[in-house]
Amino acid sequence: MLLPLIAAAFLLAGSGSAVFTDEAWNVDYHYALLGQPKQSTSFFHQPNPSSRASLVYTLSERGVLGAVNPRDGAVVWRQVLLAGASAHNASFLRAGEGQDVVISGIGSQVAAWSAADGRQAWSVDFPGPLEDVEILELVDGKDTSGAKDAVALSGGDQPVVQRLDGATGSVKWQYQLSGTDVPYQVSASTTEVFVISLHKTILGYLKLKVTSLDPVSGHKMDEHMLSSENELATADTIVTVGANSASPINAWTDSTHSVLKVNIMGTKGISSFDIEKHGGEAVERVKLHAPYHINSLSHFLVHYETATSHWAEVFHVDLKRGQVEKAYSLPKLAGRGAFSTSTSDANVYFTRVTSDQVMTVSSASHGVLGKWSVGGFNVAAANDETAEPIHAVSEVSIRGDTVSAVRSAVLLSTGDWVLLRDGSPVWSRPEMLASTVSAAFATPAEVEALVQQLEAEAHSNPIEAYIHRLTRHVQDLQRLPAIIMSLPQKVVQGFLGTSVDGDITSDSFGFHQIIACATQDGRLIALDAGNPDKVLWNQQIADLQPGQTWQPSVSSPKGGVVEISSKASAGVQYNASSGEQLVSILPIDVTADQAAQEVKYAMHDGGLEATVDSSTTWHFMPTSGERIVSLVPRPLNDPVASIGKVLGDRRVLYKYLDPNLALLVTANDAATAATFYVLNTVSGAILYSNVHTGVDLSSPISSMLSENWFTYSFTAEASGDSPKGHQLVVGELFESLVANDRGPLSSTANYSSMQTGTEPFTLTKIYQIPEPISKMAVTRTRQGITSRQLLAVLADSSAIVGIPYGVVDPRRPIGRDPTKDEQAEGLVRYSPVIDFDPRWYLNHQREVVGVKDTITSPALLESTSLVFAYGLDIFGTRLSPSFSFDVLGKDFNKFQMLATVAALAVATCVVAPLVTRKQVNTRWQFM
Amino acid sequence: MFSLRALALALCVSLATAARLTVSIPASALLPNPATLPPSTHAVLVGPPGVRYDAPIRRDSTFLFPALPAASYLLTLHSRDYAFPPLRIDVSSAPAESPQQQPMHAWQTFRGNEWANKGPSYGAGHGELHVHVQASSPKDFYQSRGGFNLMGFVKSPMILMGIVSAAMIFGMPYVMENMDPETKAEFEEMQSKSPITGSGGAANQIQNFDLAGWMAGKTADTGASAGGGGKKK
Repeated sequence: MLLPLIAAAFLLAGSGSAVFTDEAWNVDYHYALLGQPKQSTSFFHQPNPSSRASLVYTLSERGVLGAVNPRDGAVVWRQVLLAGASAHNASFLRAGEGQDVVISGIGSQVAAWSAADGRQAWSVDFPGPLEDVEILELVDGKDTSGAKDAVALSGGDQPVVQRLDGATGSVKWQYQLSGTDVPYQVSASTTEVFVISLHKTILGYLKLKVTSLDPVSGHKMDEHMLSSENELATADTIVTVGANSASPINAWTDSTHSVLKVNIMGTKGISSFDIEKHGGEAVERVKLHAPYHINSLSHFLVHYETATSHWAEVFHVDLKRGQVEKAYSLPKLAGRGAFSTSTSDANVYFTRVTSDQVMTVSSASHGVLGKWSVGGFNVAAANDETAEPIHAVSEVSIRGDTVSAVRSAVLLSTGDWVLLRDGSPVWSRPEMLASTVSAAFATPAEVEALVQQLEAEAHSNPIEAYIHRLTRHVQDLQRLPAIIMSLPQKVVQGFLGTSVDGDITSDSFGFHQIIACATQDGRLIALDAGNPDKVLWNQQIADLQPGQTWQPSVSSPKGGVVEISSKASAGVQYNASSGEQLVSILPIDVTADQAAQEVKYAMHDGGLEATVDSSTTWHFMPTSGERIVSLVPRPLNDPVASIGKVLGDRRVLYKYLDPNLALLVTANDAATAATFYVLNTVSGAILYSNVHTGVDLSSPISSMLSENWFTYSFTAEASGDSPKGHQLVVGELFESLVANDRGPLSSTANYSSMQTGTEPFTLTKIYQIPEPISKMAVTRTRQGITSRQLLAVLADSSAIVGIPYGVVDPRRPIGRDPTKDEQAEGLVRYSPVIDFDPRWYLNHQREVVGVKDTITSPALLESTSLVFAYGLDIFGTRLSPSFSFDVLGKDFNKFQMLATVAALAVATCVVAPLVTRKQVNTRWQFM
Repeated sequence: MFSLRALALALCVSLATAARLTVSIPASALLPNPATLPPSTHAVLVGPPGVRYDAPIRRDSTFLFPALPAASYLLTLHSRDYAFPPLRIDVSSAPAESPQQQPMHAWQTFRGNEWANKGPSYGAGHGELHVHVQASSPKDFYQSRGGFNLMGFVKSPMILMGIVSAAMIFGMPYVMENMDPETKAEFEEMQSKSPITGSGGAANQIQNFDLAGWMAGKTADTGASAGGGGKKK
């Protein structure tokens, strides 16, 4: 077999880059995110029924199921259930009391997951989208110790209710819903399973239809319609449809939120309550909070919200008389608040979280059992914004008659998920970053301010410049005491190797760059790449209506400034360090090159069209049946240190370097073929093209272009004599393949793409890779001297690998060992397979899930490139593809150096008298 | 993704006629307890274009593909901590008389080789197949630095030579002093006669070798003369 040979080849090649033990976990940072949690799918639950320790479970808006340790906020486990989910996807998460599984429902799949370690217990696919999932707490009327069954309702063409076995997921019975009614929800009481569907009347109003089923056999027992008169125009004003409480209820309001109607499920009576107007403001939202336990008191809380205030009312259900009564109300408070329900035995507690206090009351009376003031949530927010709670889930500890402690996991309006223990924040998770759609690096404004001052000095007359400089230095002197104070500490830290890389103002290596992230829900968030534990600032920049989306793109047009632009608006600029919006856009001080003409190209009618001064210069139309998949231009800022490649014998191969290159990918769905073109974007010339047939077009095709090389990856279909699997193609463009020869360009000092068309000579190699690459990027350094590393996002391994260029070099010799000259260049024999060495994994043991894109930025050090990946998780690191040749890294042992010097000093002291004696002796001894 | 989902749905409906594949990770010397694998461990089955199945790890360290249509698949197991060999899974269409008995076969496959090049068989079945895949190697992410190691330092030949010569320099005078006069005299005589270190010894000859003279073609008898013009010291 080829395998030993391949392995041998890789021992030679695999020394290009690696994650070092002492740098892992220190240099890199990672936020393992879930996405913003939903109230209905978040709860505290004990994964192990025998222990009291509980975890917080959530199925987020992004379709990620996860368990979070309430102690430190770390993710215990998580599973991506639906990639690309948004807040509109209906999702359900339930946990039976005393069960060691949680049951999720999203899309059309119901699955049970081991609560402690997140492994799947079973999964069931439904023919239609899921409408509801519930757990049957009481199996056949009595509490059993085994796994509790689940009931699921699916919609679509054939609405069906199924009872699923709690241990295996097998279907115990199913009930087919007939008619045109839209299935809405399912609920269970001790003796019945209720299916609620929405019936549309002739006038276009909705009525709730309740069908009760026998939980054992699944036969229909009863069916009735609730007379909601003409109140329900849409399903949005249905407040709740009961869940697994002792007495499930239905509640709805009219469209103006003036009256609340409550029906105890299984009865036909409807209680009606007027919603009090507090101060004339319209009630905007009505929410209902009820306990989820079948043996708890049948009390519930209704939460009313206006634009500026909120209050709540607590109701009791009298099961014997079948009546609902109002018990007490909680006073109106300004701002937003969140209510959560907790139970202890049969007692029910409501916890109210506002921006300045946490308060717990019993459902039975309005006496306050515990009250804690909240100093602050300890999260970053814009200056004019206060973080307000959106929703919360709580766990209360009861000692005697009082609440001894309460833990609440609160989602804030800033998008942070915070745990409050007795009113003080314990941890916060920046879940808003999970929906990042665009990100960019920017230099901090402080650094830019110094640059501007220096420029001002350079451009004024000498005397003014001198005075300016003097005043600047006098101002700097004010910082001297602080610097002297911190000096001993710095020296000690330097010797112990624990020194941090300074703060943002004294950043000599350029590691402290600001990363601005724009999220799907209209926020702009800034992180410091050198100190990523804290969010610098976080503000709402787009006021999006529910259901509205935008496609922002973040860029940094110049130092210290972040610009955000979307389809709807032109660029808006922000100060990178503080997040302040820059009202007056500073004039561009660099005068544009008047002679240069701009060629703009854009997608147009399924093809590419380029224009100069609004006249079309070239068209690129893919052949019939082909569509454009992606277009990757060469990065704008792509410095190249050398125009040639030095060979082993000191001759030079000249690179084909053209700033106007782009890699275009087209797909032909009928022929399952993908075509790759390298275009000159000024002249429209095709410099290179290649067709691959048998390509799986539904799997990702990633591509990248940098310097004088391009690379792309795709999944190939098997045929008997060709390999199946994922392939990586690397091509390199040269001016000529003869060393020391520039081909037709040798006689010209300058040339223009417009006038002369020279074609490059292209070398390509195909490699087999173990898994698909969903996105590619390349490291960038300040001067481009450092060798480049190809960054590949592996979705299946939840990883990002940095592939050294030497491994994929298209000049690797085929079918023979490299010659001495080639060995001197570092080329190894070509082998068709590249196994991703685990040491190339930038994320090492961290699992970076759902990465959409990776951006890179040069640091001030030539050796180092900053990397930032976003999508679901946030991951960043610093890379030195040619090792850290310009900075003393962690591998430099200061103790060893001191010890060596000391040893030499001692040796000198010891040897000196000996040498003197010997010298004296030699003078006196003749023969 | 959506076409895939639709396909998966269509398959669920015709569940009775589709093949069922179970992949399990047995305990092995390399991986004594498969229950320690993280929950992100999953198996991916890549079929013809557009067909892709992804199964998460289950409580019993298995992956379940309940409904596979007839095709040739590439099975890859992804885990954070271990690497697994890729497999080829073939599901053929069922014979007409027994629609639930699709012949299934699993082999090891080799990346970079033609698809027809199959490795050892991992099992075969009809309508149902259970495959055991053992971990092939643990993933080692970290490269440790060549740090300072005192033993390694001392063991290096240069340092060993230095230590020996230091021992000679410091130790020899004491040894000489402590010798009784007879032995000392004998030793000195022996040294002067020694072919290597003696006055006419090889070492002296080499040291006093007249390279320039030799290159100029001088005869051998003058080559060893001490204090010659081309003496190399």
